[in-house]
Amino acid sequence: MTSAPGALMDPPLVEMRNISVSFGGIKAVDDVSIDLYPGEVVGLLGHNGAGKTTLIKVLSGAYQRDAGQIFINGEEAHIANPRDARGYNIETIYQTLALADNLDAASNLFLGRELVTSFGLVDDSAMEAETRKIMARLNPNFEKFANPVSALSGGQRQSVAIARAVYFNARILIMDEPTAALGPHETQMVAELISQLKSEGIGIFLISHDIHDVMQLCDRASVMKNGHLVGSVRIEHVSDDDLLSMIILGKPPAGPARS
Amino acid sequence: MSDSISHPIPAQSRKNIFRTLELDTRLLGMIGAFIILALAFNMVTDGRFLTPRNIFNLTIQTVSVAIMATGMVFVIVTRNIDLSVGSLLATCSAVMAMVQTWILPDLLGLGLNNPLTAPITIVAGLATGTLIGAFQGWLVGYMLIPSFIVTLGGLLVWRNVAWYLTNGQTIGPLDRNFLVFGGTNGTFGATLSWGIGVIAVGLALYGLWAARRGKLAHGFQVKPLWAEVVMAAITTGAILGFVGILNAYDIPVRRLARLFKARGEVMPDGFTSAYGLPVSVLVLILVAIAMTIVAKRSRFGRYIFATGGNPDAAELAGINTRFLTVKVFALMGALAALSAVVASARLTNHTNDIGTLDELRVIAAAVIGGTALSGGFGTIHGAILGALIMQSLQSGMAMVGVDAPLQNIVVGAVLVLAVLIDIIYRRKTGARL
Amino acid sequence: MKRLIAAAAVTATAVMGSATLAAALTVGVSWSNFQEERWKTDEAAIKGALAAAGAKYVSADAQSSSAKQLSDVESLIAQGVDAIIILAQDAQAIGPAVQAAADEGIPVIGYDRLIEDPRAFYLTFDNVEVGRMQARAVLAAAPKGNYVMIKGSGQDPNADFLRGGQQEVLQAAIDKGDIKIVGEAYTDGWLPANAQRNMEQILTANDNKVDAVVASNDGTAGGVVAALAAQGMDGIPVSGQDGDHAALNRVAKGTQTVSVWKDARVLGKNAGEIAVALAKGGKMSDIKGAKLWTSPKGTKIWSKFLAPVPITKDNLSVVVDAGWITKADLCQGVTNGPAPCN
Repeated sequence: MTSAPGALMDPPLVEMRNISVSFGGIKAVDDVSIDLYPGEVVGLLGHNGAGKTTLIKVLSGAYQRDAGQIFINGEEAHIANPRDARGYNIETIYQTLALADNLDAASNLFLGRELVTSFGLVDDSAMEAETRKIMARLNPNFEKFANPVSALSGGQRQSVAIARAVYFNARILIMDEPTAALGPHETQMVAELISQLKSEGIGIFLISHDIHDVMQLCDRASVMKNGHLVGSVRIEHVSDDDLLSMIILGKPPAGPARS
Repeated sequence: MSDSISHPIPAQSRKNIFRTLELDTRLLGMIGAFIILALAFNMVTDGRFLTPRNIFNLTIQTVSVAIMATGMVFVIVTRNIDLSVGSLLATCSAVMAMVQTWILPDLLGLGLNNPLTAPITIVAGLATGTLIGAFQGWLVGYMLIPSFIVTLGGLLVWRNVAWYLTNGQTIGPLDRNFLVFGGTNGTFGATLSWGIGVIAVGLALYGLWAARRGKLAHGFQVKPLWAEVVMAAITTGAILGFVGILNAYDIPVRRLARLFKARGEVMPDGFTSAYGLPVSVLVLILVAIAMTIVAKRSRFGRYIFATGGNPDAAELAGINTRFLTVKVFALMGALAALSAVVASARLTNHTNDIGTLDELRVIAAAVIGGTALSGGFGTIHGAILGALIMQSLQSGMAMVGVDAPLQNIVVGAVLVLAVLIDIIYRRKTGARL
Repeated sequence: MKRLIAAAAVTATAVMGSATLAAALTVGVSWSNFQEERWKTDEAAIKGALAAAGAKYVSADAQSSSAKQLSDVESLIAQGVDAIIILAQDAQAIGPAVQAAADEGIPVIGYDRLIEDPRAFYLTFDNVEVGRMQARAVLAAAPKGNYVMIKGSGQDPNADFLRGGQQEVLQAAIDKGDIKIVGEAYTDGWLPANAQRNMEQILTANDNKVDAVVASNDGTAGGVVAALAAQGMDGIPVSGQDGDHAALNRVAKGTQTVSVWKDARVLGKNAGEIAVALAKGGKMSDIKGAKLWTSPKGTKIWSKFLAPVPITKDNLSVVVDAGWITKADLCQGVTNGPAPCN
């Protein structure tokens, strides 16, 4: 709710103010406000059903908010669908990766944003060439460009999803449980990627239930419980247990940990 | 495009040839099955199955189901089904019959056989099919009624709408230019057929060359030159061979005499003329080409396959999957209308029972051709081959003299067997397209 | 002597030649829907006639689809038949099939159902007379009252021929006011289930005040009797045709008044013989008993009409004596029945 020290003049990259989302009679997200600055990683924590995925899907255009506003670089943003979100350079890597299993890596990367020839036909060769270039940066061992992504390993699928976000010059990246299905080596790769993206000034919302990952990767964290925001803290000021008690008990920590 | 480095280099040379030629093994399997079927029937019928006449008949009989099967591929790929296509065909046929025999001549003063009649009629039919299809697509996509239910209702509704339109009557005769789409009434003759064949060969060769050039431009691996030449030779041979067979079927003498008499001329002695390529078969070929381009190279086609593979991913990628559903069913409706043109022209009448049970044949053709009911997979050429295989099976059995009930049993068994083989194949190859 | 031997040789060759010619003949039959019980009898008769002439039999079943019937005829032509007998699914839509056969010079016989095409020889029982016989029998049993007319399939021209014949006989009584037609319906596909349904609706609409039903064939009569029995009304006069075993049994029991019997074996035998004659190059006008008839639409067609026999309780022995039905089958479940069941 308050800005990071030393950045009071610049508007946040993303500011979500008083967001509420209801499904039927149930308030999945109840008057939550969070923000994100360039070059930082903000973790979003909470139990299953706390509302973190719902909140972030409002930003990515998958859900509609019932109340509240979204500001991008200080200006109000109207995000009605995923296309609008991408127009604001918001890219999302979903927990399920949102890949079409029957299509190959290049088709998935460009899904909805295909490159076309002068006749208006899909240019598969150009798309594959571009995919090769970006995958070379992210995952140099990747070879299966002709196979449908269902034939790829979990880590390879993850790299395709990440490549999709990175290729289109995301300024705001949302990662929903990026390491949940990965082994230690691949988790390390994701950590390195996140550092690299931070250094490029990209802001990242990281949803995770793994406190260890959050402590390692994030600068700040916001905890939700039952649709409410319990509190936002700076990671350097809290411990694992502090975060745990925020998640389980819904008790915000006292003192300078607040951010 | 090679497999990942961890796989040992395969030693079997057979696999390499197919991969070098970049031929889909599933397609080859189907072509192989078709050839075996044709040869088997040919043997049992003392060589009558593979005469130019029978091959000509076979192609004409397959057209209407094959046209609809291409549309059904898209429907099934998007995880829907359309049980109403046969009834839709009947309604479009009824509308077109009414337009050309009653509305145009009586209400608008354009007589039957007026040059404008056929074009207006066909446009009316296509409009009917597209609108009904779009309506059904709207019910499925926006009202979220399962497509099985919507089209099951359509199956009952549209056939009886057709009945009411025509009062249960058989309507005919139809416009002379309209009848051109029926098969024997409209063929190109030998010379034009060769011409069309040559143009087709030219286009095919250009396609092969353009694909190679595109790949080279991006530095991708291409087939060795000898493989390209082999593919070009096979393609040319197949196209010209097909045209040749159709040109080998001569028009019966009495029919020629009748045609001359109708023109007020006298037929010279010993005059022969070949049927050549039927207009309806050319329509099917053009539909096949168009649908294949849509499926493989258009964004619409790409979104269809994406939606079928993972509807959520498609939505999140910004694809309007609901409107896509409307478009897919509208396209199916348009193709059903086109099939109605061919079917009613072939019968030279509209009958109440036109298109009955066609939906089953169309779905079977698409499925035998490799379209998975679970969605996301299917090819246009597979569906057409599926239609051809089913029609050959049925025609062949009829020629041999198999009882009708047994024919149906065999077709049903073949359908289940084909899907079983497809499932086993997919499991073994890890769902490679 | 030499001349005698030469003449004998020529005759022998001619005889053998024509026998070989007949042996080389193939006749194709295109059935509209072979699943109906009746056509097996016809098929046996046709096969018998063809075998006697030394010709081969091939057939195809269109399974009630006009489009399939067209493909069937094309297939028969491709198999090289010398004549085709067609039981048309749709009298009008069969046109292209007749066209295709005529183009190849293959003679066509329209079997039982009219084909509106002068190139097809029309062989049938006199269907108008059948209608008259049906109406006569019912009129005799119920000279006054409310009548229901259960007709055949709307796509089958025979249905209207029958109805026309029935009307001729009933006209006088209708004009006098003795008879009122309170219900009339076509039966889709001649299906008994449809006839039963239509009859039920008519009974309901008329509060069961129905005194007689003129049904156009035994299948529909069966559906009618089922509908009547459900209302306890079985026993009122009902007509039919075809001599189906179930119908003859009903006549013996008294729930059906008449079944106009068209000996399908006679029809089949005639068809086979005419097919062979035409295949050998004979002319339609040369066929014994053929006459030039004008169809309702004005087409002049060479036809042969065979005479039907109305079977009532008074002459049931005819069908037993002819070997059409066994006494056991005829009299099954009949108590105090008419001859030959008593």
